[in-house]
Amino acid sequence: MGHPQYKVDKGSITFDGKDITHIPVDERAKAGLFLSFQNPEEVPGITLESFMRSSRNAVTGKPVKLFAYKKELKDKMEGLSMDTSYASRYLNVGFSGGEKKKSEILQMLMLNPKLAILDETDSGLDVDAVKVVSKGVEKYKNSDNSLLIITHNTKILEYLHVDYAHVLMDGKIVKTGDSSLIDYINKSGFQQLAV
Amino acid sequence: MEPARKKTKVKDIDRTIYDFKDKVNPSFEVKEGLTPAIVEEISQKKGDPEWMRGFRLHSLEVYNKLPLPSWGPPLDGLNIDDIVTYIRPKAKMSAKWNDVPDDIKNTFERLGIPKAERESLAGVGAQYDSEVVYHNVREEVRRQGVVYTDMESALKSDKYGPLVKKYFMKVVPPQDHKFAALHGAVWSGGSFVYVPEGVKVEIPLQSYFRLNAPGAGQFEHTLIIVSEGADLHFIEGCSAPKYNVANLHAGCVELVVGKNAHLRYSTIENWSKNMFNLNTKRAVVDEGGTIEWVSGSFGSHVSYLYPMSILKGEHSRMEFTGITFAGKGQSLDTGAKVVHMAPNTYSNINTKSISKDGGYCAYRSSVKIMPDAYGCKSSVSCESLMLDDISGSDTVPVMDIQNDDVEVGHEAKIGRISDDAVFYLMSRGISEQDAKNMIVTGFAEPVAKELPVEYAVEMNNLIKLEMEGAIG
Amino acid sequence: MDLALKEINRLPVPTWNLLGINSADINGVPAVTAPYKGEYLSELPEGVSISDKTVYAPEIDTGMGADAQKFSENNKNCGATLRVKAGVKADKPVFLRYRIGGQNSSVVDVTCIVAEEGSEVTVVENYSSEGGAKGFHGGLTKIYAAKDAAVNLVQVQMLGDGCTHFDNVGGAAEENAVVNILQAQLGAGEAYAGCKVKLLGTGSRLNVDTIYFGDKKRKIDINYVAEHTGRKTRCDINVNGALMDESSKTFRGTINFLKGAKKAVGHESEYNLLFSRKVRSRTAPLILCSEEDVDGQHAAATGKIDPDRLFYLMSRGLSETDAKKLIIKAQFQPAVEKIPDPSIRDAVFDYVKERLDSVESIS
Repeated sequence: MGHPQYKVDKGSITFDGKDITHIPVDERAKAGLFLSFQNPEEVPGITLESFMRSSRNAVTGKPVKLFAYKKELKDKMEGLSMDTSYASRYLNVGFSGGEKKKSEILQMLMLNPKLAILDETDSGLDVDAVKVVSKGVEKYKNSDNSLLIITHNTKILEYLHVDYAHVLMDGKIVKTGDSSLIDYINKSGFQQLAV
Repeated sequence: MEPARKKTKVKDIDRTIYDFKDKVNPSFEVKEGLTPAIVEEISQKKGDPEWMRGFRLHSLEVYNKLPLPSWGPPLDGLNIDDIVTYIRPKAKMSAKWNDVPDDIKNTFERLGIPKAERESLAGVGAQYDSEVVYHNVREEVRRQGVVYTDMESALKSDKYGPLVKKYFMKVVPPQDHKFAALHGAVWSGGSFVYVPEGVKVEIPLQSYFRLNAPGAGQFEHTLIIVSEGADLHFIEGCSAPKYNVANLHAGCVELVVGKNAHLRYSTIENWSKNMFNLNTKRAVVDEGGTIEWVSGSFGSHVSYLYPMSILKGEHSRMEFTGITFAGKGQSLDTGAKVVHMAPNTYSNINTKSISKDGGYCAYRSSVKIMPDAYGCKSSVSCESLMLDDISGSDTVPVMDIQNDDVEVGHEAKIGRISDDAVFYLMSRGISEQDAKNMIVTGFAEPVAKELPVEYAVEMNNLIKLEMEGAIG
Repeated sequence: MDLALKEINRLPVPTWNLLGINSADINGVPAVTAPYKGEYLSELPEGVSISDKTVYAPEIDTGMGADAQKFSENNKNCGATLRVKAGVKADKPVFLRYRIGGQNSSVVDVTCIVAEEGSEVTVVENYSSEGGAKGFHGGLTKIYAAKDAAVNLVQVQMLGDGCTHFDNVGGAAEENAVVNILQAQLGAGEAYAGCKVKLLGTGSRLNVDTIYFGDKKRKIDINYVAEHTGRKTRCDINVNGALMDESSKTFRGTINFLKGAKKAVGHESEYNLLFSRKVRSRTAPLILCSEEDVDGQHAAATGKIDPDRLFYLMSRGLSETDAKKLIIKAQFQPAVEKIPDPSIRDAVFDYVKERLDSVESIS
């Protein structure tokens, strides 16, 4: 996603036919990339609602119609079993771990990116919350967009159709397969692949 | 190797819309320098009652004896003797906006006063060079028995004179410090507000100050008395044009909060960059009363500002929310003071400060809990944001606790805008500039949200201007 | 004839004079001191030697200020300059034990600790007094930690009520050096402590752990300054104390980020437990900053014992007073555990216990 503390010294990143290796974070977002953070930042002083509005405005480049936006936000929050009063709370401030993750998925649903990267979204969520989030992700997924899910635990994949699975070890992709790879790992573990 | 941080050029705040001057045409001007003769002259021209004349002279004596403070930003460039202390403009006190002379009207029009008048404010007392020129008290408020008039009329009135005499400079005595004494000698103009028992004033009262002549010092005095069970929100905002000669503001605000009464005092200080703002504000709170301060310090070259609250009655409370923003050439030394004199009192201080472009902010506070003030709670939180490495920010808080039955907490933080927070916002499509803007605005939010939406005297625009111009 | 040391423990940035916290004065300072009689220095570990030179590179400032520093230097009657050879990690601590009483009514020790590159040493300075002896202690300790060196200074003071005491410490730390200071200010009628360490080198660190205990009419006055000049420097200052009877404490703790101290981190915390109506606790936790890329935080809490905690202990059978005594001990525990000598550790706990036992009831 272009965190300034990481520098690319070799290779390139191509997204939707465009080389995005050196373009800044916000432009990647505008190009259709979304990252659901493992540890979402707390930003006091800005409400979730007003932030989301600014973000949508920035990504789409179009003014946001207030009434329709508020309704959409409310509907999507309810779909995620998220207390709608969180919309007027400061962005992630004081949210529980689970609520923070839901806030991330909510933002994904509101921005509708081309590629959503979910970084350990299921960590810190109880069984019910994983189900809710998983269903939310399923609602988002269509034939025009893509998901990159990073996880240690496959419960979140239950409602999703997985096209490819990659196993990452020590910074390298050691195995690629289709969804059957997931079952294999669930049975035999990761260590097998460490050869 | 660490990636070098890209520094966005910081735009200085555009102050030119405030820098306009009217041609000065005073009808009476006091000779420069401060002597007993001059104080007598001021007193005589104002038609002071005898006790006030004596009070002024006594204050001058105190002023001459007291030294300048040995702490705080330097006061170079301030020579009090050079400052002309009194200029009375042609216009007399007016009750209707239409009667005010055009050039003065233009000044206030430009700075947004008429709009404030239209937008459901109860009344506007506006000061023009040491005199309150325009004044209007809405009928409803007058009917409730609320008195909102200029200080000098109140002083001379048969009805309110005794009340003024009872409280005038008792909350802030001249002995307190040199500029309080100076104020006591040459004070001029200001507002007097009296809210009778049980009256809840629905709409905020507003006052406005402005300096215009070169070298003019402003010494307005505000005295607000909120009687038992009453409720008032008072807003004070100020602006001044830029001059080459040093300008001094040594005003005094005395707030008397009665039993179970509630007073919110909001201020935006936006004096121009050559001003010395040495203001003294103090509240005395009686049993069950509450004082809330909302304070934004943006302007002036040097500022010494520490609103102080004396929690005199049991169960009295103080809340202080403030923001200070120091840019190039500014040394803003601000904070708050509270003395818990009675048991079961409560205080909360929450301040933010921002420094950029070589500006210097100092947060200075004092929380004192006296031996008989048991059962008190106090919490202080001060946060400072540095936007570059040429600015400065000092936090100098003091707590003096003199009994054990207390709960006192204090926390302070200083740092820069978090890279992770910027990255997070940018990952949602917000540009770096806007992301930093959002974070700084969010930082200032606790103060911004305390001010009423109807407050038309520059405040919210001002914060936006300051914040949008300030990028780390 | 006695002297006075004026304006010691000065706040780097003064505040309202009326608060009386900008500095302190020490009265009853002896004008003349006799040489100290008796052995005070323990056997030195290998690699640590006495040097008669007290010279080393950077100019060291002390927490109490130049006047107090000069007083000690001019009137010194004991102390040692210890030099630790480069690369040597001393295998046991160096002890300096001083006792006021009998022939020694004044202890003015000047001790310098010079830790050469990559070395490590622990120095324990222990001050005690006989019975009801009246006396004076005015000590100066200077620390220089060269690159990659570590110096642990432990100062334990359990002097009697008739004594006036001050500990004046100054230090400088070079690249990646560590200075750890532990001060136990438990006794003396009047106890003053000042400590100023300059974090000069990149990555250098300062840790200060202090406990204080005030009872009767004891007066405790502290001034700590951590000066960050180098990049990525770090300081952690933790002060824990209890006040009862009519004792008073003034604590000044300043974290100063000078320009250029990029990525410096400074944390300070102070927890004060108060046990009687007549105590006085004053705190001035300052942060001075001329550098944007820093992280400075301080937190202070003052008040009575947490009622939930008290309830929990009492529900296990402890009386209210005993529960409170236990809590005070627990508050001191983490710092006391850092004292490397078991006999001193025990002495501290015995001392605190004795003091607490003589308190009839804690409010």
